Amino acid sequence: MATATAPGAPRTALGKAAVELDERLIVAGPLRRTLHKVFPDHWSFLLGEIALYSFVVLLLTGTYLTFFFQGSMTEVVYEGSYAPLRGVEMSVAYASTLDLSFDVRGGLVVRQIHHWSALLFVAAIVVHLMRIFFTGAFRRPRETNWLIGIALLVLALVEGFAGYSMPDDLLSGTGLRIASAIMLAIPVVGTWVHFAVFGGDYVGELIVGRLYIAHVLLIPAIMLGLIALHLLILVKQKHTQFPGAGRTEHNVVGVRMFPTFAVKSTGLFFVVFAVCAALGGAVQINPVWLWGPYDPAKVSAASQPDWYIMFLDGSTRLFPAWDINLPGDYTIPALFWPTLVLPGIIFTLMALYPVLERVLTGDTASHHLLQRPRDVPVRTSLGAMSIAFYVVLLLSGANDVIAEKFDISLNAMTWAGRLGLILLPAAAYVLTYRVCLGLQKHDREVLEHGIETGVIRRLPNGEFIEVHQPLGPVDAHGHGQLAYGGAPVPKRMNQVGGARRAIRGFFTPIEEPIRVELEQREESRGLATAEEGGRELTSAGRPTEGGRPSEGGRPSEGGRPSEGGRPQEPRD
Amino acid sequence: MTARDTRAEVGTGDVQDSGHGGPDDDYPPERLAAIGREDLDHLGARYDGVHVLHVDPPPAPGSPLEKRATRQVSMLFALAGLFAFLFVFVYVGSGWFLPDWRWEVGGDWWGLLFTPMLGISMGLSLLCVGAALVVYTKKLLPHETAMQEKHEGSNFERVTAAATLQKGWHNSGLGRRKLLLGSVGFMGGGLGLMLLAPLGGLIKNPNAGNPLGTTSWGEGVRLLREDGTPVRPGDQEPGSLATVFPAVPGGNRESDAATMLIRLRPAQVQSATARAGQEDFGYGDYVAYSKICTHAGCPVSLYEQETSRILCPCHQSQFDVTQGAKPVFGPATRALPQLPITVDEEGFFVARSDYIEAVGPTYWNRERI
Amino acid sequence: MSTTNQQSDAPHPGTAGAAPRRSRWGRRPADGTPAAAARARLRSRRRRRLGNVAGLLAGLILTGALYSALAPAHAADSSADADTESAVEAGEELYTRSCITCHGENLEGVNNRGPSLIGVGEAAVYFQVHTGRMPLVRQEADAPDKPVVFSDEEIDQLGAYIQANGGGPTLPSGDLRDGDLAEGGELFRLNCASCHNFVGQGGALSSGKAAPSLEASNDLEIYTAMLSGPENMPVFGDNQITPEEKRAIINYVQTIKGAGDPGGAGIGRLGPAPEGLVIWVVGVAATLFGVYWIGTKA
Repeated sequence: MATATAPGAPRTALGKAAVELDERLIVAGPLRRTLHKVFPDHWSFLLGEIALYSFVVLLLTGTYLTFFFQGSMTEVVYEGSYAPLRGVEMSVAYASTLDLSFDVRGGLVVRQIHHWSALLFVAAIVVHLMRIFFTGAFRRPRETNWLIGIALLVLALVEGFAGYSMPDDLLSGTGLRIASAIMLAIPVVGTWVHFAVFGGDYVGELIVGRLYIAHVLLIPAIMLGLIALHLLILVKQKHTQFPGAGRTEHNVVGVRMFPTFAVKSTGLFFVVFAVCAALGGAVQINPVWLWGPYDPAKVSAASQPDWYIMFLDGSTRLFPAWDINLPGDYTIPALFWPTLVLPGIIFTLMALYPVLERVLTGDTASHHLLQRPRDVPVRTSLGAMSIAFYVVLLLSGANDVIAEKFDISLNAMTWAGRLGLILLPAAAYVLTYRVCLGLQKHDREVLEHGIETGVIRRLPNGEFIEVHQPLGPVDAHGHGQLAYGGAPVPKRMNQVGGARRAIRGFFTPIEEPIRVELEQREESRGLATAEEGGRELTSAGRPTEGGRPSEGGRPSEGGRPSEGGRPQEPRD
Repeated sequence: MTARDTRAEVGTGDVQDSGHGGPDDDYPPERLAAIGREDLDHLGARYDGVHVLHVDPPPAPGSPLEKRATRQVSMLFALAGLFAFLFVFVYVGSGWFLPDWRWEVGGDWWGLLFTPMLGISMGLSLLCVGAALVVYTKKLLPHETAMQEKHEGSNFERVTAAATLQKGWHNSGLGRRKLLLGSVGFMGGGLGLMLLAPLGGLIKNPNAGNPLGTTSWGEGVRLLREDGTPVRPGDQEPGSLATVFPAVPGGNRESDAATMLIRLRPAQVQSATARAGQEDFGYGDYVAYSKICTHAGCPVSLYEQETSRILCPCHQSQFDVTQGAKPVFGPATRALPQLPITVDEEGFFVARSDYIEAVGPTYWNRERI
Repeated sequence: MSTTNQQSDAPHPGTAGAAPRRSRWGRRPADGTPAAAARARLRSRRRRRLGNVAGLLAGLILTGALYSALAPAHAADSSADADTESAVEAGEELYTRSCITCHGENLEGVNNRGPSLIGVGEAAVYFQVHTGRMPLVRQEADAPDKPVVFSDEEIDQLGAYIQANGGGPTLPSGDLRDGDLAEGGELFRLNCASCHNFVGQGGALSSGKAAPSLEASNDLEIYTAMLSGPENMPVFGDNQITPEEKRAIINYVQTIKGAGDPGGAGIGRLGPAPEGLVIWVVGVAATLFGVYWIGTKA
């Protein structure tokens, strides 16, 4: 048969096995396409992966925890090894959490890793979301993925709250009590919703079991599906990238999936897992044995939800006592506005933001090149405003702890929060807008007049001037003719190779300075013969005539800008 | 197209080339076999729209740079293994050849360090793996810059896909066969409702028996402390607060029955004003208010006996006990309901009736029940 | 929260040790009337109290017998009286020096300066002076704890003076941690945690006031605080929370304070607020650093 003699047929056992496999599954093509997917080489594209990998850690540790946790509200008398609670009546859920912490070898560390990675998961989503927002990565064609991301954020909050409530300790029980009050506060159907969720009046015997199945099956399954969709769309649409030489709306410049990116990304997984594990061992989180079992008549000072729900607790603390009494003795409770209407508005605005921006700016084009936040001052300022609003709510959620620790009046904290909620976002908007314009102006100035070299020269007429290094050809007046291309503008001489290129190495140098010097001299000799194209920035950030977005032709892409550019004789 | 045609011509003797078309035609096995591995990689990449623009080679094999990097990576992997074994050592050894891992209050230091040791050794081990992988890519792999093309959607594919869909719709005739369409719609609605209907099992009527508006308190029900002892007027000092529960089965675990029994100081008694119509709800210098916050249902019980305020720890609503527990600060809108109390013939506190209003958080039709 | 758990609902004849602390009085079907169960509970408490009293009496008698056997018999009575008298005198002197401005010549208090000390007893004196709250430096929302001004002996003398002239709760004696740990926890969470936090970390009250942390409090301070209800703290008299229950609470507070954190650094044992701080300052910062390291080319 031709098989045996086919030229280039694999001879090793592994190769033969691979051929056998491909003959059956025909995977070589898709596999090759996957291996060749290009990822942009910038650290900020890894933020979403922190969230992804925290989720993986959550699944791993969470599965372990289900071997021991029992989501039941049946009352038992604790007889485990934690003496201060021995003989106390508590729910099975709480008792099994204690057993899991004290009587299962290594159970406590896994529980703590699970809780820390949950906090990290939501935090990473928030950071990832901010990157997407401020760089305009949500614009057409990526609105769908933005929506999925918002849905994932909301689900993560619900999932986190369900997990926080499951141990049925005094802290989480207080949270559940507030959740019950929030349900009751819904106009018209509130009591019906509450009775459906709790299976009757608060607290009933069902809620922990229902939260449990929601926490371990229902919500994670939806989240897994959405994450898969999120990634599929990402692969289908390909990544965005920051503008720079050689980067266009029609390509992605970076590294291929295999091997570099795959190894780096795996490395990141281990780093994320390591941070969660180290926190899980080194820092105690949610010591439920100190909180005690839940009892509707008991409460502790400084009862708060986990940080990601704290903004809602903050809004509830700040909202004034405004019940709305309707004719017919119906009431819309004050609690309804800060806990349901406010987050409803926040998440709806977030979800709709891409559409709002498209409508308001009239920009309906597809974008694959990102924007620098300074170039879109309105959006950036809106973002800063939202962050200020959120942070005031977040801090107000812990205002009793802050009041106690810093000896501030609690009532003063409440009023500071109420005023801050109105004043600080406005101040953040104005300030950010100014900063954006200032940064823009400075970019334009450098493009026009060149980089300040720090060299002072005295003119024949006695005037002192600072020599500027233009970034490109200049006109008769010595003004640069480069247009701003949406990419970082070099502002120091060694960013354009005025000094020797930076020595490689993140923590310590990994190459000999003298070798770099020699290498550089060699390169500058060869420079004379090389064509001049390919390094200039054009307005579209496209490669110029040469079309070769070649070595170091990108003045900067975040990481080490100093690698880019070639030395050039300074001119004034 | 051509690929398939060619394959048909070549016949079945050549099935060894997988039937993907295109490239197999351009690059028969003999030609591929002649191409080097590096070029094959770039060739495949080109088929996926990827161009490798530039490669910074890794340090030359055998160079000091390479040797040092290799040492570093190996060291990190070795450390990772070491920490992993340390984890196993502590996990398995505790209680065997090491002290017991179990922690008890006042127990030994090993129990206190067991979890930190596990977590930190695991964290360090994983961190070393991550660092080794990253250092590996940075120092031992070539740094390449690749460019992948993005493609816009194709009009051809859009039009042909649409045609197939439209043809299918047309052939189904649903556009014309209104009866069929109607019955399908009817079936869909019914099926959807049928599948959702079992969720109706979740629904319970909150107004049946008025569970929200009533508690276990009632005429003659004694006020008991949590341990079940009844309270006499002489038991509490002026300026004190006790949490009391109704003397009914499970009364101390009821979510809305917890009540604060407060004995006012003489100065408070003088300045105290009750809510209209509730002037006689107290007994002597005692008053009893619901412990469940009217805002979000937390137990309010941070009683400041000098300022007469009760603070809720959840959202900082503040109530003044000398003004009928009226809210004076924070998000709460309603006063804490007052329980009418008196003393029975044995000298113990009893309730005169249930609360005359619903306790706990406000809801839509609260005023109506 | 109804349950059908047999173990906890079944009566526990003779297995007092395994009986649930948080009794479900009235939940027992035995007598039909819930009050009966409560009375049974009360009876058992009384029995326990009687037992304690008997033990205490036996101890006292034994000590007294030993003392009378060993000490010179003639001096015993009169010297004790003389001690008390001299303590009261010394206390009066201290009072005149440090307290009279705000609390008045006859402990009657001075308007807008200080409250009357009649009926507060030596318990209040011990708490206020031993935590350094008194003498007060200036009038503010809260009397903060400060370094102690008086020596233990002087505090005893002051206490003796106030006790002699105003009367009120006296200092307890014996082991102040002689109480059931778990019961103390339940009582602490019901009566104390609302202001002082789950683990006695303290908490904010209205308008700048705060419930102090119990971190530095000794047994007697906690006991006298419950007994006297200093400042805004409610009074927990002996008929409301019995001396045994007070000892149980103290046992719980001090045990929890002394117990280590098996899960690592305790970060104030304050729950979500410091945890949120840690995840952002340590967790997010560490992963961001990792990402930046991974994402740069060099």
